[in-house]
Amino acid sequence: MEALRLGVILAAGVCLVGLWLRLRHFLSLPLARDLSRARGSARRGARYALTLGMMPWAKESTRKHALSYIRGVVFHLGIFAALVALVAALSGARPVGGSLLLAEVLVGAGLVAGIIGLLERLARPDLRALSTADDYVAVLVMDLVLLAALAWLRDPAAVGWFYALAIAMLVYIPLGKIRHCIFFFPARIFFGRHFGHRGVLPPAVGGGEAR
Amino acid sequence: MMDKALEVLERRLSRQLAASLETCVRCGICADSCHYYLADPRPEHVPAYRAELLRRIYRRHHDPVGRLFPGLVRARELDDELAEELIKSAYGTCTMCRRCVLNCPMGVDNGLIVRTARGMLAALGRVPKGLQDTVDVHLESGNNMAVSEEDFVETLEWLEEQLQDEVDDPEARIPVNQAGARVLYTLNPREAKYYPLTILAAAKVFYAAGESWTLSTRAWDVTNYALFNGDDEAAREIAGWLAQEAAELGVEEVVMAECGHGFRAFRWEGENWLGRSYAAPVRGFVELVAEYIRTGRIKLDPAQNPEPVTYHDPCNQARNGGILEEPRYILKHAVADFREMHPHGRENFCCGGGGGMMAMGEFAEGRLAAGRVKAEQIRATGAKVVATSCHNCLDQITELSKHYDLGIKVLNLCEVVAEAIILPGDRQ
Ligand code: SF4
Ligand code: SF4
Repeated sequence: MEALRLGVILAAGVCLVGLWLRLRHFLSLPLARDLSRARGSARRGARYALTLGMMPWAKESTRKHALSYIRGVVFHLGIFAALVALVAALSGARPVGGSLLLAEVLVGAGLVAGIIGLLERLARPDLRALSTADDYVAVLVMDLVLLAALAWLRDPAAVGWFYALAIAMLVYIPLGKIRHCIFFFPARIFFGRHFGHRGVLPPAVGGGEAR
Repeated sequence: MMDKALEVLERRLSRQLAASLETCVRCGICADSCHYYLADPRPEHVPAYRAELLRRIYRRHHDPVGRLFPGLVRARELDDELAEELIKSAYGTCTMCRRCVLNCPMGVDNGLIVRTARGMLAALGRVPKGLQDTVDVHLESGNNMAVSEEDFVETLEWLEEQLQDEVDDPEARIPVNQAGARVLYTLNPREAKYYPLTILAAAKVFYAAGESWTLSTRAWDVTNYALFNGDDEAAREIAGWLAQEAAELGVEEVVMAECGHGFRAFRWEGENWLGRSYAAPVRGFVELVAEYIRTGRIKLDPAQNPEPVTYHDPCNQARNGGILEEPRYILKHAVADFREMHPHGRENFCCGGGGGMMAMGEFAEGRLAAGRVKAEQIRATGAKVVATSCHNCLDQITELSKHYDLGIKVLNLCEVVAEAIILPGDRQ
């Protein structure tokens, strides 16, 4: 078991190095500066993009597809809880009482959300056309980690599976689309800055609103 | 053979573009934010699908997995087949309206990706002919319809007489090449050639406001279709002419005629293409008119426009340009019965005429089909008049009216305002 435990730590290192290499490539690229005169505020736009702009009511797409939005949030909360559980397992700790129940609920719900996501991708022709193998592998890997995390939460004997799948996940993160976990932030900031600079976001109170 | 296109990708690969290429999770939630998908829900009409075509090339060159195991991430080299698919996708079924961008939870800029793809195709000389011709004519003649200086001046002289008649003032002028004027106003060649009455409408507004303004015979075309063919060199050259003319005339501001893409190109992109700031700030005509009303420089009588009016936000002026409040402010003063479309403003649907689509006849069928979303929006308002602030939108909505039997009149805002204007002598 100690070997697997060390394997997870090693895989975490590989993951960080891989992400760093992707980030280094990203930072080697020029930052396009906007020379046009501002109509609004890039800073306020970025702040909005990372806060209220993420709320389900802020966009038509998430208003229309509230269930997909909720599924996504539940999936990501589950992953976060599984990662916390992994750190706990590595450090020899184990949630008890209320925190154990909370972790089980979050990870379990995340697993259900992940499975639905995978089935949806398999079932919808437009999503199939859009998807690469990575899209299936990434969700499958995360679903398996969630399953293993849930198993470990319910029975400490499952720690071997939890470690093994965590190693697979950590190695895979920088290789596939899961690396959006780091690129999400610059993408959102660029989005907010761009539309903030032009005075399009954040939405003003009054005319020009969608609803 | 494809090297030129790949060079464009390398040159334009900024952090902004890379973030958009890296972040898409193929969730597909952007699908029904696109009017093409709503009108015809095919997988190829999902905004992210269009972006994926370029992403495949990016992965082949910038993603270790894409280099080693291309099949895993569908990475591939740009070849003739992919170029053909890109033409159909980036030019044929995307107006670069960026409605999908506002609706992406990740902040992926599909518009930026599509324009990059267009730039790559432009480098290969594979821009659809009608669109490329428009840019070429502009570069060769100084405006996109090859209006000669002689014809332009003649038209303006005739319009000046019309203005004098209309405002009953023999001193009313359409000034040309006036150094030191406060405002340099620009025009769409379409106005000079086919719709001179919109020039007259704008001149009437300037007259009523007592504005110090001028047109130029050297650089007057508000359009810049290189925004749409994707060719930054051409875009830079065209934007440079107007910037230089404004500096030479020493005006305080450049005011763009009602042309959505022209406004976006010069107001928001031009300084970035040129790599320097303009001498004078740039505003849209709509912004200036709203200011005239707010400051009491012009007075309007809404009773002159009694029919129900709705407003179509040109994507390039609203979602991509921030002009959201002003048209509504103007219309509330200029018409008796203003009705909003739903959704509107930044979330407005593209009419289908953007992205240079009006110049690409080969995609007309899809353009009209995708315009169904807009046609339904208009019909739901019950309006008899659609005001807009863009000549491409005006043309497309006029075609939509015929195609979908909407029975509406389509006007640019300046025409609505000119109809309602109370001339200084009549203000008692
Ligand atoms: S562009 Fe955005 S909304 Fe569309 S599939 Fe990609 S991440 Fe999802
Ligand atoms: S930019 Fe507009 S037309 Fe193009 S994919 Fe996005 S929503 Fe559709």
